[in-house]
Amino acid sequence: MKGLMMKYLMINCREATMLMAKKEERQVSFFDKMKLSLHISLCSLCKRFEKQTLKIAKESRQVQADEKMSVYGKEKIERIIDDFSS
Amino acid sequence: MMDKQVIKANPGQWLKLYGDMLYQYALPRVNNTLIAEDLVQETFLSALKGLEGYKGQSSEKNWIFSILKNKIIDHYRKKASGPAITTMPDLQLAAEDWFNDEGRWAGDKAPRDWHEAENPAERKEIQKIINWCKDHLKTVQQHVFILKYMEDLGADEICKVLNISSSNYWVLIHRARLQMRDCVEKYWLKT
Repeated sequence: MKGLMMKYLMINCREATMLMAKKEERQVSFFDKMKLSLHISLCSLCKRFEKQTLKIAKESRQVQADEKMSVYGKEKIERIIDDFSS
Repeated sequence: MMDKQVIKANPGQWLKLYGDMLYQYALPRVNNTLIAEDLVQETFLSALKGLEGYKGQSSEKNWIFSILKNKIIDHYRKKASGPAITTMPDLQLAAEDWFNDEGRWAGDKAPRDWHEAENPAERKEIQKIINWCKDHLKTVQQHVFILKYMEDLGADEICKVLNISSSNYWVLIHRARLQMRDCVEKYWLKT
């Protein structure tokens, strides 16, 4: 019985990484969540994957360019604002 | 008389205050300097037109940024409604190269240990790497990644914007995540 249960709950790394994406959207069922936690507790690679993708998600929101807008672009916008305000 | 603070928008100062800030936000999200400039321009134009509707309910800066964010989403919506950019990748084979036949990590694709990026300089560095890697994702995957992780939209909304089915979405995001992590690792471990 226990063996059968385990067999049902076991997923592979491909499925686990897919479930992580779904978990992020809260689109996983209760059983899928259990399967994922079980897998992560047993698989250090997937655990690492989860941590690293969370880091990427966190930093992605902060991505900004260093370079500034071109002078030409700024002049164009300045004209538009002036035209509009006058 | 003074208890109610009236927040007035000040268009004369906008370019100086927000011009570069908006541009620096838009550029990595559309990957093109001219498009980024256009979006900033359209943002200011919409803000000018909507000036009467702005009553200081959010800060001027947040209000203008929310307009830009809508412009970015519109940009992708237009792109998706145009002629098909690419054929959809072979979705059945989507994640095959990453895993072996049993669905375990394929040897050279397995995640390696990273040193943490915690201080501001390291975080800036990893953000640069993320931006570079994002530029090297394939078209639809890239759009999905930008809308999900740089613009923080939900899956359902992304499907609508990009006009893709939810099963396509999951495959695309799964693959984008695998690819991004792999690419970031390569460059991050080099630093």
